[in-house]
Amino acid sequence: MSSVYALYPTADAAQRAVNNLHAAGVPDEQITIVSSEPFEEHEFANREKATWMGWIALAGAVLGLITATWLTSMTELAWPLKTGNMPIVAWWPNLIVMFELTMLGGILAAVITLLVTAQLVRRRPAFYDPAVSDGQILVGVAAAGDPATVERALGVADVRRA
Amino acid sequence: MAHRWGMAVDLDKCTGCGACVTACHAENNIPIVGPAEAARGRAMHWLRVERYFEGEFPDVRVKFRPVMCQHCDAAPCEPVCPTYASHHTDEGLNAQVYNRCIGTRYCANACPYNVRFFDFFNPQWPKPLHLQLNPDVSVREVGVMEKCTFCVQRINAAEIAAKAEKRELKDGDVQTACAQACAARAIVFGDLNDPESEVARLSRSPRAGHLLEDLGTLPKVAYLERQTQV
Amino acid sequence: MSEAARKINDDLLRPLLRTSWRFYLLVALLGSVVVAGLVAWVWQMWNGFGVAGLNNPVYWAFYITNFVFWIGISHAGTLISAILRLVNAGWRRPVTRCAEVITAFALMIGAMFPVIHLGRPWLAFWLIPYPSNRLIWPNFRSPLVWDFFAISTYLTGSVLFLVLPMIPDFALVRDRTTGTRRKIYGVLALGWRGTPKQWHRLESAMQIMAVAIIPVAVSVHTIVSFDFSMAPVPMWHSTMFGPYFVAGAIFSGIAGLIIAMAALRKFLHLEDYLHPVHFQNLGKLLLMMSLLWAYFVFAERLTVWFGNESAEVQVLRVTQKGTFAPLYWTMVVCNFVVPFTILSLRRLRTISGCVIASFCVCIGMWLERFLIVVPSLGHKYLPYSWGTYRPRPVEIMITISTFAAMTLLYTLFSKFVPIISIWELKVGAQAVEEPVVQHAEHAIGEARP
Repeated sequence: MSSVYALYPTADAAQRAVNNLHAAGVPDEQITIVSSEPFEEHEFANREKATWMGWIALAGAVLGLITATWLTSMTELAWPLKTGNMPIVAWWPNLIVMFELTMLGGILAAVITLLVTAQLVRRRPAFYDPAVSDGQILVGVAAAGDPATVERALGVADVRRA
Repeated sequence: MAHRWGMAVDLDKCTGCGACVTACHAENNIPIVGPAEAARGRAMHWLRVERYFEGEFPDVRVKFRPVMCQHCDAAPCEPVCPTYASHHTDEGLNAQVYNRCIGTRYCANACPYNVRFFDFFNPQWPKPLHLQLNPDVSVREVGVMEKCTFCVQRINAAEIAAKAEKRELKDGDVQTACAQACAARAIVFGDLNDPESEVARLSRSPRAGHLLEDLGTLPKVAYLERQTQV
Repeated sequence: MSEAARKINDDLLRPLLRTSWRFYLLVALLGSVVVAGLVAWVWQMWNGFGVAGLNNPVYWAFYITNFVFWIGISHAGTLISAILRLVNAGWRRPVTRCAEVITAFALMIGAMFPVIHLGRPWLAFWLIPYPSNRLIWPNFRSPLVWDFFAISTYLTGSVLFLVLPMIPDFALVRDRTTGTRRKIYGVLALGWRGTPKQWHRLESAMQIMAVAIIPVAVSVHTIVSFDFSMAPVPMWHSTMFGPYFVAGAIFSGIAGLIIAMAALRKFLHLEDYLHPVHFQNLGKLLLMMSLLWAYFVFAERLTVWFGNESAEVQVLRVTQKGTFAPLYWTMVVCNFVVPFTILSLRRLRTISGCVIASFCVCIGMWLERFLIVVPSLGHKYLPYSWGTYRPRPVEIMITISTFAAMTLLYTLFSKFVPIISIWELKVGAQAVEEPVVQHAEHAIGEARP
């Protein structure tokens, strides 16, 4: 089992390679595509688009809200000091801190989701070629059952193995 | 019933002599800032006598008003302090806790009476004034706010003595330094919750009013308006 | 496609890969000014706060002016990056990172001033709500505590908003460098490869953050304005301060951005990426904000003049006719007369014209903050206590050093990170290049065995 891949100079060429791989019986989950820019217009780039991130961010925001509500009212009740004829638990000012921590909760939840789902905390890239930074698009199969079939499907002369 | 400390100042009796200012300095270890700093506007008079001239010669009128911390019941200086250094005690005093103060000076900006002062430098007293410091009052360090406390050290001492002697505080047991020093007895200090006390009686006078009352700060110093002209 | 991509890579990576002696000279000069500012601050802490020019009753002056000014400048990034991203304005692409960098650094600089202006700055950490053995928590009713939470949230959000889209560019730089630099950029690039999933997740995160950061930005400067409007000080206690300050912040932020972009264009030779149309668009925004600023100032001053409340009118008089009149009218010229003239005439709305207008706006907005803080404090309700203010060397030095610090941080950033977001630029270029490339590809595809 080894990785087989090729580099394509344009998104259209990469799309054709992906189509050929599909025709050769390689499913989407086994195909790896790496590029230095996102390609919204092409079909190969539309994989794994669905995400729970929005809902997770919302949950983070709710968590922030609860934390802030607890923090402000708990601390105000723990040491009830009178200031300026205001109530001990002062809701108008508390709302401000609650708003800020709500937004912070949402932002942090989105970022943590990004780090986890994009596997950004990995030290070694699994399957990569620096040529991608020059604008090439990498299309390949990570664990090729039948390297020869994959090679044929990729269709270019310069097929590499990793 | 709990005490509610307040003050009444009879502007008809006040001559503007400034003895109260001096007494306050002596009692509360207020720093002498020196002529250079005073010229920069940093003199620290917890109690000051404001003087206004009105009118043109020969119809000039002079008005004196001793102004100190009004210990407002709705003090604007209290909610703005981030560390609760400025807060309201159960006896109605606006307390300034020097140890909590980090010196944002927000309270001084919020105070409409300009009665809060900042220690721009570590305090010093030119000799021999260093010999007259009051041991009952702390000396503040650079970077904190300070202001009139209604001589809280005297209030506490009187309350402790009354408790030890198992009796109630009587009107006149607690005298602030300014009230004690005033030769005309223009300044009166006492418990507003005691309806028989002199300060409560004077606060009910038809001449009594408050400074900047329309700002809604609920100040506790009653000023009795002047009826005679200088 | 590769040709265009290669050119973008070359142009935008050049500042990272090649350094001239001018860079070192600039960093040395700016660095020494920043060090002088730090020395001034340490000197102030050592000798006592009295070395500054503050007094009774003007307890806030230069430091708070600088605080509000820099937090205001930081609103540039949010407007450009977040709002233009959400409305899908393509012309934002070369500009986003320049703007977000301003936000991050301006916030860091601005956030130092609440500490610099403290009487006992070594205790600033008491604003953090932690269970301490002093058995006390911060006072959540205080606008200064609101400031702490707002600025912390905005700083965190802005830094993340800046850094996340930098990750693909770090991967790019990693692939183009060798040795230690390659290792460092490799670490910074985290585990980024460029799979469709990673691109989608990055895009989702950026969308969420763009939506979240806009209300946070509005709230930050509103809360900064609350530092003033919550106090019963004449001409501070205004219900309009929230929107007024936010508008002023966006105004000064755009001006700061135009200056930064013009400098980058000139010194990093980015003429192919920052076009005159970008400056013209920003110039139109600046014009709009200038009109909005003028509207707020007029509404506030008319209300004070007409309402005739004696303390407020006194402050109005002292700013417009009294001791502060020269500063006030300079502010009006800088914030309205000059920008309005330059930016409404297309002939004058060139890059240089926009830069001149922006410099005027920066000066004018700094003066505006000063004129909000000092005249009001000097003329409160009891005339016996009125006072005035004169800055002293330590305040002036620290103020100057913040401008040097901003320039220095910006210079260093553009040396280590591509100042224009390379991958976002390429995405924008895709839409233009596709038709040209398809023909070539057909030919190559048929030639392949």
